Amino acid sequence: MPPLTDARKKSLRREMEALLGKGGVLSDPDELMVYESDGLTLFRALADFVVFPRSAEDVSALVKLANREGIPFVARGAGTGLSGGCLPSEGGLVISLMRMNRVLDVDYDNQIAVVEPGLVNLHLSWAVGPQGFYYAPDPSSQQACTIGGNIANNSGGPHTLKYGVTTNHVLGLEVVLPDGELLWLGGKTRDPQGYDLVGLFVGSEGTFGIATKIVVRILKKPQAVKTVLAVFDQVDHASEAVSSIIARGLVPAAMEMIDQLTIEAVEDAFGCGYPRDAAAALLIELDGLAAGMDAQAERVVQACRDCGARDVREARDEAERALLWKGRKSAFGAYGRVSPAYMVMDGVIPRTKLPYVLGRVNAIAAAHGLRVGNVFHAGDGNLHPNILYDPRKPGEEARVVAAGAEILKVCAEVGGSISGEHGIGLEKADYMPFIFSEADLACMKMVKDAFNPAGNCNPGKIFPSNKACVEVGPAYRRHPIEEKGLAQRF
Amino acid sequence: MPSTLPEELRRIVGPTHVLTGVECSPYAVEGRAPEAVVFPGSQDEVAAAVALAAERGLPVTPWGGGTKMWVGAPPSRIGLVLATRRLDRILEHEPGDLTVTVEAGLTFDRLQAELGKRGQWLSLDPPASDRATIGGILASDASGPRRHLYGTARDLVIGLTVIGADGRAVRGGGKVVKNVAGYDLPKLYVGSFGTLGILVEVTFKLRPRADVDRLVVARFDRLADAGRAARAVLGSDLIPSALELADGEALRRLGLGGGAGLLVGLDGIAPQVEWQVNELARLLGSCGLVEQRVLDGPAREETWRALAALGRPGGDAVAAVMRWALLPTQTAELMEAGAGVARRHGLEAAMTAHAGVGIVTAVLSGGADPGPVAAALEEWRRLVTGASGHAMVAWAPLAVKERVPVWDTPGPTLRLMRSIKERLDPHGILNPGRFVGGI
Repeated sequence: MPPLTDARKKSLRREMEALLGKGGVLSDPDELMVYESDGLTLFRALADFVVFPRSAEDVSALVKLANREGIPFVARGAGTGLSGGCLPSEGGLVISLMRMNRVLDVDYDNQIAVVEPGLVNLHLSWAVGPQGFYYAPDPSSQQACTIGGNIANNSGGPHTLKYGVTTNHVLGLEVVLPDGELLWLGGKTRDPQGYDLVGLFVGSEGTFGIATKIVVRILKKPQAVKTVLAVFDQVDHASEAVSSIIARGLVPAAMEMIDQLTIEAVEDAFGCGYPRDAAAALLIELDGLAAGMDAQAERVVQACRDCGARDVREARDEAERALLWKGRKSAFGAYGRVSPAYMVMDGVIPRTKLPYVLGRVNAIAAAHGLRVGNVFHAGDGNLHPNILYDPRKPGEEARVVAAGAEILKVCAEVGGSISGEHGIGLEKADYMPFIFSEADLACMKMVKDAFNPAGNCNPGKIFPSNKACVEVGPAYRRHPIEEKGLAQRF
Repeated sequence: MPSTLPEELRRIVGPTHVLTGVECSPYAVEGRAPEAVVFPGSQDEVAAAVALAAERGLPVTPWGGGTKMWVGAPPSRIGLVLATRRLDRILEHEPGDLTVTVEAGLTFDRLQAELGKRGQWLSLDPPASDRATIGGILASDASGPRRHLYGTARDLVIGLTVIGADGRAVRGGGKVVKNVAGYDLPKLYVGSFGTLGILVEVTFKLRPRADVDRLVVARFDRLADAGRAARAVLGSDLIPSALELADGEALRRLGLGGGAGLLVGLDGIAPQVEWQVNELARLLGSCGLVEQRVLDGPAREETWRALAALGRPGGDAVAAVMRWALLPTQTAELMEAGAGVARRHGLEAAMTAHAGVGIVTAVLSGGADPGPVAAALEEWRRLVTGASGHAMVAWAPLAVKERVPVWDTPGPTLRLMRSIKERLDPHGILNPGRFVGGI
């Protein structure tokens, strides 16, 4: 796309301000910089405009304008994504949904809610909490990420073994298609006739259009919750314990595993009482009816002991439960104690392959002269190797990226996938051939063409392509206000 | 001399796996017999057969257990029936990962029996499970009462392989339960009635079998009471695996008495089920409960089976079956209204519903004259769409289907669906004419 002339930019700015109000359009480079990357700061791309619609009609008008002008566009929520998915990799419009953030309707009798895409995930659970309900898909970034972003990425979180992912909780979507048409996919009732367009749209990473209203299921909060922490001297034992728990007929709400390096970081930073020399810690959460909860917890404890757990602790009350979880939740923050920077990887493997894969991950990191801390959603096989590095060391970042690609190859080798939660986006587009054949990718492209024949809706994502307009690395660069000494980065 | 279709097919699958002429009649679709029926023994053979059909512009109709062939609009063309029954292997079962990969021609009950040996199950309960195949269940998105807690095929499939209209294999998803790489193609193929590809291999996520499984049959005097009871259960802390509403006629046919019924599935470990049975009795007591019985073992199984069989064509002089999708709060009221409509046309209706998800199965009987049957179905459709729901004719004889469209009039999404279909099947050979919007 040829760059917009200043005259054209001015005229477009006026047109969009007439639609959205003066505060609804950003075009100064300093302002645009804030939106040049998502949570994966390795990639940066500048938009021509960042715009803030307030309604589905605004979104439709903006998309039609983009089509008319021949410029690409991409939707953006909170920008917490970790694969560069909302980067304007070919310039054009970034359409921020942050001003469309309301809960529009809650129907407790039918257990559904209708929300706008810019609503923060946790705020939905807060909104329905007083009536005893919650929204189940709870990615770790739920305090910031938006429902719209969750739709784009089919987001998960720690509770997916029992409760599934975003797509299992969405009944309908009002969307603006890439040509600007506004229509509903699905609705409030089940089993819409025809192809499952809702199911296709969820997880399409913003390449099929922009969701402007979302109908989600809300669930009754469970009566009771119980948390057990088990500590192991060998990763194999922790892995076997997971299988053993399942073999005893239990489906825990969450099973989270952290490795030795992560435990050390957590203990350094927060002193949660995890033994520093343990090879792995397994945090298991059960939820559901109060009746029988103790019996189920007992089965979990027994399974862990039978698999050689060095120590098994059951939280006796809410305070203890929070403390046990603090260790897991502070893992990422704790890495900051042992390393200036880290990059979060996201792969999925069959659970039973974990000991082998962890061995390979550690070997790959070591071969690149790096350390790695692993957090594993043991319930569903989603592995997050967090590669620790120093961005000030020349070449280090490039080695991290190379190690990441090798790790994903291992995930593919053992029958897993290259993304469990974070999506393909920009970051992993070149790795799609690790798991998909040419015919598979061709079919996906045909489906994409059906939604977006013009190819202007979040282009450059998911499929291998050239990243001409995207700056890669370094992940950390001093912001102009840091240069001026007006701010400090921690 | 150019070879005939049967000769070409025999070259692909061997001489004994092709039917022609009068042998094809058991494989007629809505009264139209195919030119040939082929039984491929492998994914490659399926691919070759489809490629051959594509070359000749011959429509292909996949055939699993044949239990849903009457669903859909009558086919616009029929050519080759591709039967999947020889693709019936379990390829991988990883109990530690709670996943299984199977060929699409495997029957559901056989899969469940194998999984049961390791204390696991595929948490679906589709009708005709002894004959229905995995591929057919997915293609028709068949489900049963346990979708209330466990979801439907779309929630359980984690990967699949289809043979596309060009004879090429396409794989969507993977073998792991959490996967967001690329588009969620499995969602596209599930429920697509064979119009985008022929399923050959599927990977599911599984669950451990519950220790205890009970069916509580609660009887009320009136459907309105049973409806209120269903809402009370939904708003409570109970976690039923199934929640079925049944009107008087349905209850009678199930041999469970009269009035109206709420059938509640409860599973889990013994203390959980015990507590729920008692809590249910307490809750329903204030909703006009007449009687509550707890069924286990064969009695439980037989009741679920009978419930699934209510809408079987040929049973109990069934004239037509419709499936409605509504909000859960609308079900009891519309079931009652629907029964009234049937009576006004001199017919009878037996109504059941998945009360927690708002899916009603409306069975019309008591008359073979297509006139009143069609009129009743049309009035039902107006009733349901007027309440913002949607209605589909799950089964009706051809004479009725000629008067009443199977599917609702499609809305603006038809353009998108056609666009997908045109790209994936440009020559329109995959099960043409049976789907929404004439696809």
